[in-house]
Amino acid sequence: MAAALARSAALTRSPALPWTPLRLWPLIPLLLVALLPVLPGINAYILAVTVRALIFIALGQAWNIVAGIGGQLSLGHGVFLGLGCYVAGILFNMLGIPPWFGVPAGMAAAMLVALVMGAMTLRMRGVFFALATVAVSLACDQLARHFVDLTGGDNGLALTFLGTSLWAMQSRSPAPFVYAGLVFVVAFYWITRWILASRFGLEMRAVRDDEVAAAASGVRVFRTKLLGFMISAAMTALAGGLYMQYYQAIDPESAFGLGQAIQLQLPALIGGLGTAAGPILGGALMTVLSEATNWGSTKLGLVGVDILVYGLVLLLVVLWAPGGIAGMLRRR
Amino acid sequence: MPAVLIPLAQALLSGVLVGGVYGLLSIGFSLAFGVMRIVNFAHGDLVMYGMYVGVVSATFGIDPLVMIPFSFLLMAALGAAQYLLVYKRFVGRATLQQLLAAIGLGLVLQMIAQIVFGADTRSAPSLFSMRFVTIGPLFVSAAQVIACAVAVVATLLVELLLLRTRWGKAVRAVADDIETAGIVGLNAQSINITAFALACGLAGIAGTVMGTYYPTDPSKGLALMPIAIIATTIGGLGSIRGSFLGGVFCGVVQQCTALLWSSALQDVPLYILLLFFIAYRPTGMFGLRTE
Repeated sequence: MAAALARSAALTRSPALPWTPLRLWPLIPLLLVALLPVLPGINAYILAVTVRALIFIALGQAWNIVAGIGGQLSLGHGVFLGLGCYVAGILFNMLGIPPWFGVPAGMAAAMLVALVMGAMTLRMRGVFFALATVAVSLACDQLARHFVDLTGGDNGLALTFLGTSLWAMQSRSPAPFVYAGLVFVVAFYWITRWILASRFGLEMRAVRDDEVAAAASGVRVFRTKLLGFMISAAMTALAGGLYMQYYQAIDPESAFGLGQAIQLQLPALIGGLGTAAGPILGGALMTVLSEATNWGSTKLGLVGVDILVYGLVLLLVVLWAPGGIAGMLRRR
Repeated sequence: MPAVLIPLAQALLSGVLVGGVYGLLSIGFSLAFGVMRIVNFAHGDLVMYGMYVGVVSATFGIDPLVMIPFSFLLMAALGAAQYLLVYKRFVGRATLQQLLAAIGLGLVLQMIAQIVFGADTRSAPSLFSMRFVTIGPLFVSAAQVIACAVAVVATLLVELLLLRTRWGKAVRAVADDIETAGIVGLNAQSINITAFALACGLAGIAGTVMGTYYPTDPSKGLALMPIAIIATTIGGLGSIRGSFLGGVFCGVVQQCTALLWSSALQDVPLYILLLFFIAYRPTGMFGLRTE
């Protein structure tokens, strides 16, 4: 493997990160979040925000695989989030199949859709892929609104609530979801680390940095892109399962809307595209920022300020800090 | 005409009228891509601002159609500002970062509109709104006829501008090869600014004429983007006449789907078509450049 691979490796390996030798400090926020439900003085609001942040981070981690490591801008990850939610929800409501089987079914559906989408569009340059993912998510939006019997149409689909039950993965209190979310985030973090360190990850980064050079070095470009897209889709659907169990409902707008697709990108973009820690940092920061602006805009009586802030942050990061938080830390 | 064909003829006619305006908003999008390789996801938001120009003028009792030149100039100025602030650094390569910057810009524009104008749906009635023309058994809204006529005239003017004027020649030269254009003495930067301003000004015209028959709200800009994307991909990214015809085609497919299947699913065949075009004919029907 030639120059492209070496360059990718040099870019992504990060000996300069100030905290890499101190392997212990990432455990502090981990412990803190794990202790949240039992700490005194922690109310339901803080727990709810924590779960929201963890789901947001997990979705960002999944998107980071295809966009950050693979360099393919998917604007259609809402499709996989939606499939995870809708498949698990429909199986549960209509057939009584618990999410233990429903969520894997949703993941399988997401991988199948990713396979078809990817096979049709990933041979082309990145712009076409991005445009096609927009089209697929909007098509899903219209279909979900149309087939009311199955999906609940515009109003969305609400899970039948059975009370706190492990079998149905339901709980009245948010505490179990804090742990579930934490498991997801840690697992996704290790998956990302593992992909970054593997030959497959190296190939993905080579394709991202220079497709022609990667192909010349013997990387099977199309296959690499497709595989990365499918893995990312399956992870998104899995995180979608958590989303569904926590929120207990999904509707076409929050699954397939462009707003959702854009939100899914923020953790990785702000934290640092293509890094394992990026989506965690970015997701946590965005959640705090969004809670603060929500609070502020309710005080001011303005609607939409949070999305304005999302847009501004997205614009500022892309223009002035393309490496995100991780990139800024590294430059120091 | 046999009675069974009347609804179909009606759908075709309304499709062409709606599609003409889709064509107009698509050529701006296509122009920015064709000349600068910029995928302007915020294009739809300028169309939305064009619609609000009509809304504001209608509340002051001025007919929105009178505002077309103003709308063009305002959006052209906004476009030039966008180009200088954001897109300048991405010219020539539609990268992931460029797409993301455009999305961020679109969100900002949409939310500013929501804060300024509110989230509720507004309309911009013109002299021709609520009037209908009958052609035999078919009837069409006068506002749509006017809008389509404006779109056709604007598209023809752009074609003339690009093919017959010195400026158009310069734009095409910069689009072909920005470095060589610089060597032969063209100021690529200023040509790009004017071309981008023209693309955005067209969005303004499209918005203002569309506003006379189609109510607006701040999310309409993003909602129109799929149409622009599909029309330009089917017509050929970068091709002006291709994009216009692509827009007309989108309008016709929408209306026919609404007639034969369901109006809630009127865009689904377009999305499927887009996928097939991307997979099998990414240069569209008229796009010549292959990459």
